Amino acid sequence: MKNKKLNKYLLRIPIYIFTILFVILPLAYMVIISFLTKAKTWGFDFTFTLENYKKVFDPFYLNIFLESVKLALASTVLVTLIGYPFGYFMGRLSERWKRRMMMLLMIPFWTSGLIRLNGWIIIFRSNGVLDKLLMFSGITKTPLKLLYTYPAVLVGMVYFLLPFMILSVYSSVEKMDWSLIEASRDLGASRLESFLTITLRLTMPGLLSGVVLTFVPSMGLFYISDILGGNKIVLIGSVIVEQLTKLRNIPFAAALSVILMLLTIVFLRLYKKVSGTGELEGLF
Amino acid sequence: MKSKVLGLLGLGAALALTACGGGSKDASQQSTGAAADSALKGTTLNLYTWDGMFPQEVLDGFTEKTGVKVNYSNFDLDETMLAKLEETKGGDYDIVVADDYIIQLAIKEGLVKELDKSKISTYDNINPLFQSKFYDPENKYTMPYGAGIPLIVYNPETVKVDIQGYNDLWNPELAGNVGIIGNYRVIDGITLKSLGYSFNTNDLTQIQEAGDKLKTLAPNIRLINDNNLQDYLLSGEVGAAFMYTSQVTQAIKANPDLKVVYPKEGLGFGVMGSFIPSNAPNAEAAYKFLEYINEPEVAAKCFEYIGYFVTNKAAESYVSDDWKDLIVFPEDKISLIESGELIENISDEANELHNKLWEEFRQKTN
Repeated sequence: MKNKKLNKYLLRIPIYIFTILFVILPLAYMVIISFLTKAKTWGFDFTFTLENYKKVFDPFYLNIFLESVKLALASTVLVTLIGYPFGYFMGRLSERWKRRMMMLLMIPFWTSGLIRLNGWIIIFRSNGVLDKLLMFSGITKTPLKLLYTYPAVLVGMVYFLLPFMILSVYSSVEKMDWSLIEASRDLGASRLESFLTITLRLTMPGLLSGVVLTFVPSMGLFYISDILGGNKIVLIGSVIVEQLTKLRNIPFAAALSVILMLLTIVFLRLYKKVSGTGELEGLF
Repeated sequence: MKSKVLGLLGLGAALALTACGGGSKDASQQSTGAAADSALKGTTLNLYTWDGMFPQEVLDGFTEKTGVKVNYSNFDLDETMLAKLEETKGGDYDIVVADDYIIQLAIKEGLVKELDKSKISTYDNINPLFQSKFYDPENKYTMPYGAGIPLIVYNPETVKVDIQGYNDLWNPELAGNVGIIGNYRVIDGITLKSLGYSFNTNDLTQIQEAGDKLKTLAPNIRLINDNNLQDYLLSGEVGAAFMYTSQVTQAIKANPDLKVVYPKEGLGFGVMGSFIPSNAPNAEAAYKFLEYINEPEVAAKCFEYIGYFVTNKAAESYVSDDWKDLIVFPEDKISLIESGELIENISDEANELHNKLWEEFRQKTN
């Protein structure tokens, strides 16, 4: 009996070590640095200061945070609108087609994301694939400037994040007990009614973990805006990188990252509250 | 210099280096005395710079001539190099090639060895035009290895404006047709210059004034890209671009009809310098290396390879004809270099304001 208990603890040790080493320590390091002073040339001095946080609340930086949140929200909404129906119908396919769809969803991940984004450039550029198609079909007359615009960045974000939404919705749709729908239809509910009262409720955890998996990374995905937006949309991620490399202000970059993380946590709490679900498909 | 397009290549090279980098330590048995040539044989020279800064041919030539093996390690960012030198207290490496502004910091921190010029017989080949700059005013520590001068390049077929200088970039006819590099000190700098101020001013009101002017450039900006702007000019995505020297050379190589403009308001440029770290394990070999790469034929090969402006006067006549127009600084434009400025380190406040104005400008371009 005793041995069993000991084994249970022993088995947990690796995950504790992993978490401490790769999650807690780096985070603590970042938080500590965010309270230090920038050194004259490189690195930081061990002098405590709140200056970095004071600077974060400069309206200039707050505005960039706001822009980043806006883009993240817009991407999340679009991804939900496309990803939910996709995941739903995928969950209703026959086993054979489910496997095929899964394969198709996974294949793009075999190529680096950066290369896939450059593929979008070929589609979007002036006189590119899309442009030629539009002109050929007579919809437009002259070459368009589609690339390096806000919509181009949104398309890139949605493209990048969509699989995460599809997969989490799919996994909860697949687990659903469809006899409940039959029962509700037998009892006189319309299709819409049974969708809203049963399917949506039961797939809510999947939908919300999809939202989390979309929203959280989209706060940091600045390189999509760099590549498809021509560096013209300023997101907090690129400001952090610039502070780290060009201004050599590591403490301020750390402070910005801490605030970004806090902001993300606040949003997650908010989602949880709004949805009223206790669980986010294994995330919380 | 500031932007090396060679990230992926660098990774490959780094792997190759780890695979065969075992020999770096035997350099510590360094040679003393004048009979360097025979004593140096079999030692290793540790060269530390960006990826792709020396043609293999030149490195092999050095080994053949002196018997010294070259161990090439690379960094991506100047800052990485400085951190590494701080860590090793100016040891481990024998030759470093890096950007001017970071060399100034390294010298200040005592990480750079004073050069004994009597050991470099080819020293006088250097073009004095690129010497005595802010980072080493008395030329005590460094020798220049190529200059980068960002210039305007445009396609006269699609751009009808006769571009002469920075101010022409503001021409409304260029709406949505201009590409620029993403280096805020350079872009804010040319705006300062277009107002008649210095690239390196610490005067916050001047910087602010330039920032306000820069915002009015936003409607003309099609994209900001630090890595491969030349591709966008070549593909026609932009009609005019302000870009780094290596990009200018690549663009002109691919399309000789493009026009290069040396902005009349004055140039802002950067010099890459080579130096010996203060505790270099094999300093004698380092002197030999500096001597070797300053031989005119060798230097010409190096500059053609990196595609930067030749900083070696004697090498100019050895540069092949296809490269001459691109990397030998034109005689009639020399006054622009003389009146030009290097981009220097400025005060933290000024630097921060620059960055802020730059981000505001970027927001405006969208």
